[in-house]
Amino acid sequence: MKKNMSILGILAIAALIVFPLHGQKKEWKGGLTLSGAWALYPMAIKWGEEFSKVHPKVRVDVQAGGAGKGIVDALAGAVDFGMVSRGIHPIEVERGAFAIAVCKDAVVPTLSAKNPLLSRVQQTGLKKEAFIAVWITETAKTWGDILGIPDDKPIHVYTRSDACGAAETWAEFLGRRQEDLKGVGVYGDPGLAEAVRRDPLGLGFNNINYAYDAKSKKPVPGIAILPIDLDGNGKIDDAESFYQDREAVTAAIARGAYPSPPARDLYLVTKGRPQDPLVVEFLRWVLSEGQKFVPETGYIALPPEKLEEGLKKIESR
Amino acid sequence: MLVLTWVPAFLVLLILVGLFLRSRPILAEKPFFSLLMSSSWSPLRGDFGLLPFLMGTLWVTFIALALAVPVSLLTAVYLSEYAPRFAREFTKPIIDLLAGLPSVIYGVWGVLLVVPLVGRVIAPVFGVQSSGYSVLAGGIVLAIMIFPTIISVSLEVFSSIPDQMREASLSLGATKWETVRYVVLKKGLQGIIAAVVLGLSRAFGETMAVLMVVGNIARVPRSVFDAGYPLPALIANNYGEMMSVPFYDAALMLAAAVLLLVVLIFNVLARLILVRVNRRAA
Repeated sequence: MKKNMSILGILAIAALIVFPLHGQKKEWKGGLTLSGAWALYPMAIKWGEEFSKVHPKVRVDVQAGGAGKGIVDALAGAVDFGMVSRGIHPIEVERGAFAIAVCKDAVVPTLSAKNPLLSRVQQTGLKKEAFIAVWITETAKTWGDILGIPDDKPIHVYTRSDACGAAETWAEFLGRRQEDLKGVGVYGDPGLAEAVRRDPLGLGFNNINYAYDAKSKKPVPGIAILPIDLDGNGKIDDAESFYQDREAVTAAIARGAYPSPPARDLYLVTKGRPQDPLVVEFLRWVLSEGQKFVPETGYIALPPEKLEEGLKKIESR
Repeated sequence: MLVLTWVPAFLVLLILVGLFLRSRPILAEKPFFSLLMSSSWSPLRGDFGLLPFLMGTLWVTFIALALAVPVSLLTAVYLSEYAPRFAREFTKPIIDLLAGLPSVIYGVWGVLLVVPLVGRVIAPVFGVQSSGYSVLAGGIVLAIMIFPTIISVSLEVFSSIPDQMREASLSLGATKWETVRYVVLKKGLQGIIAAVVLGLSRAFGETMAVLMVVGNIARVPRSVFDAGYPLPALIANNYGEMMSVPFYDAALMLAAAVLLLVVLIFNVLARLILVRVNRRAA
């Protein structure tokens, strides 16, 4: 009898704890981990902060390391989300990658502000073929070669040594893959920016959030953006000139004036469709309330149809 | 206790076997030696030639040794035999501090100072065009990282040589330098070799500092001013591609196994030299 009473008592207490919670709004708590693309890093930090403001018991940890690391960590189950700044390859999908597009940004070509030919380069820009000659075929070795003038100053070409979305996207723009990009491999987005900044003859590429200063919205001191001559007429017209600050370039990407690639969607990748309710809630928040933080952090918000698609993808059963 | 002594050897074997097992997929496609001797690295086309990386590792390590060994030994000799006591007591903690600095600090310092030094000062002296990101820069950074190891172990070795030996040599009319050459260095040779091997092991394994300054270009270096791509840098940089390209994970496991083999071979060689030295001394 006593045993039965104590069992009943335990059940009663359990019922008192569980049932009242059933009707309430769930208070989210726990931790979320993200790792991967340098491109998404500032946005993920912002989202993490804002999500924690709404749900104070949730801790969001973000680490960079390149899009490739994001994929490896996500597929290994080491993190909740992989941040990936390039398209997902079929072999990764086969291995279980489940990707949701969350915002958009771009890669821009960069050169040093101390380059002696800076003003000329910024007036004429460079065509895609010139970039291919520098990074892929290595047929253009001097600044004279790509600008069509007699000048034998060598081009110091830089690329990314880590497996990353920026290099993959830049290579996609040039019709190839990251491993085809030639040049000195520097680790990380900030590393490449620094290498170009300190080398007057340097030529590289960066995600816009590492080429432009976050506070001033202008190009990082010491770096200049190399305009892409989109129509191939040998000069940068008003329609092609939108690199003076971050606002201008993101507006150009949003209206399609800047091509995609090198502009591209940024993804959060999980291993298979997310099952953990906190993971699903974070994704849902990112695709809805989180989008209002996208422009102020220097990214381009996705069109509503893409967001809808993403929401359907995570919530369909 | 005997079993405990066997544990480290067993662990090394376990790691080596584990790495080779994980690289089986790619070893099934191409024989080991063709992978080792091929200099074409193009993973998307299925080319996984490891020669550039092996040569990169060997170049960087040998440059580091060539720079570090003479300087460290002479420093240790000076501190042990010639320097006033307060100098020795003052320098020892600083050297130990250098040994404890995280690798990435050396990397950042290397990018800020060593790379421009090589690109703008040293290379022009030899009439060579270099961006500064080179195996020489990697070697210089590594040399500085292994100074403390070689210096502190050598200092220990020299202090273990009984003073009576030095006194005996001096009393026979030898100068201080002759004493150092014929008595101290000879008696301490075994320990010095051990110190160098310790430094060598650290040099082989250093990843972060080297990959920040070495240029990361997958070509066999043809001069010290060429960029290189050592094995640890390959694994650290491309760990992110493992899931994205077929056979890449097997190729990286193979690279890790090759690195382990290289370190083992050098350790065995060092052992053999030590045995020789011992035999001659006896």
